[in-house]
Amino acid sequence: MTEPASVSPAGLDQPAGDEPCLDVSASEWRGAARELVSQGFTFFDWLTAVDQTDDESDPPGTPGFDVVLHVLDISTPGALRGHLLRTRIPDGAALPSLTGLFAGAAWHERETHEMFGIDVEGFDDGTGLGLRPLLLPEGFEGTPLRKSFMLAARASKPWPGAKEPGEGHDAPKSPGRRRVQAPGVPPPEWGPR
Amino acid sequence: MTVDLPAPRVGPLAEHAPEPIKVVLNWGRRYSLWVFNFGLACCAIEFIAASMARHDFIRLGVIPFAPGPRQADLMVVSGTVTDKMAPAVRRLYDQMPEPKYVISFGACSNSGGPYWDSYCVTKGVDTIIPVDVYVPGCPPRPEALLQGIVRLQEKIAGESLSGREIQRRYAGGRVASAGEVQRALVTAGSIPGRGDALVPRPGQPVPEPVPQPLPEAVAQPLPESRGPDTVAIPMTAAPVGSFDPETAFFPPVADHPEAPAEHTSSAPPSGPETTVIPAVVPPPPPVGDPTTPPSPPAAAPNPRRGNGAPDAGRGRRGAGRHRPEHTLADDIFELGDDDE
Repeated sequence: MTEPASVSPAGLDQPAGDEPCLDVSASEWRGAARELVSQGFTFFDWLTAVDQTDDESDPPGTPGFDVVLHVLDISTPGALRGHLLRTRIPDGAALPSLTGLFAGAAWHERETHEMFGIDVEGFDDGTGLGLRPLLLPEGFEGTPLRKSFMLAARASKPWPGAKEPGEGHDAPKSPGRRRVQAPGVPPPEWGPR
Repeated sequence: MTVDLPAPRVGPLAEHAPEPIKVVLNWGRRYSLWVFNFGLACCAIEFIAASMARHDFIRLGVIPFAPGPRQADLMVVSGTVTDKMAPAVRRLYDQMPEPKYVISFGACSNSGGPYWDSYCVTKGVDTIIPVDVYVPGCPPRPEALLQGIVRLQEKIAGESLSGREIQRRYAGGRVASAGEVQRALVTAGSIPGRGDALVPRPGQPVPEPVPQPLPEAVAQPLPESRGPDTVAIPMTAAPVGSFDPETAFFPPVADHPEAPAEHTSSAPPSGPETTVIPAVVPPPPPVGDPTTPPSPPAAAPNPRRGNGAPDAGRGRRGAGRHRPEHTLADDIFELGDDDE
């Protein structure tokens, strides 16, 4: 296949895998998706986001959220082709909605909105209710898939097992190992655990 | 439409029957447990396996064909209870007729399991409904469920069910009218212990997750009397020859005065309730395939903390077995303590 020439790569790293990935700016998001549809990628597979707000390594990319779209070309039986489309949205910016192109993108955009707090501009799923919670329980506050979201259970409810390598009941005897500080693990100032 | 239901009671014959008749009535109840499987995750597959021909809990009188919670005596919560599903669990429990029993099957429904720090997983189903028997494991083998059923049947055989008793035990956690059972689902904010989203604010004290009071419809506290009666099943299958339910499940806790009350060490308000009737209470058959090696000792609960956790291997403590500091069963009881 030929890459759509109308969009310019943003210079980000290519994800592993044999599927092509196209990096576009947020303003080109809808146009690039429409271009992919015109090339035969008519099947909307999924849309999600990756929290890259702590991305310091890549000078061309500004920290924000990588929104990724996966579409499939299902025209040829036995030769399924996939294509990824990726854009980076700074924290607080809005993502252009794809609901005008794929009606099924509405659920994914709602989920991305509630999990990452990314606003979606032009969202229309035909109900007029807008971006409302899809999966989270009623009354949930926060955006749990952001790296800044703290897993409060770790601070409020002790777990008797080993949460990280080097912890656990035999931790004093085990050789010292640097504590893994994964996103979402409350820092020490949250209190003793 | 709201229709006031009468208070739960047993019939006048059962109320005033002499003790041998009550034994027979309990015998009938323990061996006709219509079960309602709240299958939420992979543990439900183990439940289904336990109901199939190889393990076949129908031979214990557990009948897995209840058309719904309103016809069920026993609810088995098998799988991960999420905060979104928790209101439905509570609602269906409310719809079950008394007397009703709950088995929490698997690590997730016991305590949240491996998803304990998730933003959306309830930290144990006992934060929303009273649990009679905990079956640890991830997932537990079907034999473990059989063991849990046997433990529950022993508990049923030992109880004396009068109208006053059934009201004392259930009326607290029971909704009193049909309209309330048909109410809209309770909101997630009303569930104590749910995984609240707390976004840290630098420089500010960490907010404590405060359990919000239940709305009025479900504001009754969970029945107090059921807490001490809960028992847990050790994951380690007891050896066939050395099975002794007293030492296996209820190690003496005299040296741990701070330990919570236990089934045998604390006399319930009505003493005869726990009387074991040898004529109709056979010793529980040893569960666990003899050909199956016992689970690793990391699964065995720890007796050191003396919090009522079962310990199948207490008699062999000095044998140099590796023992963990904390176990899942410990956390189960910690969860229970938090709710008091």
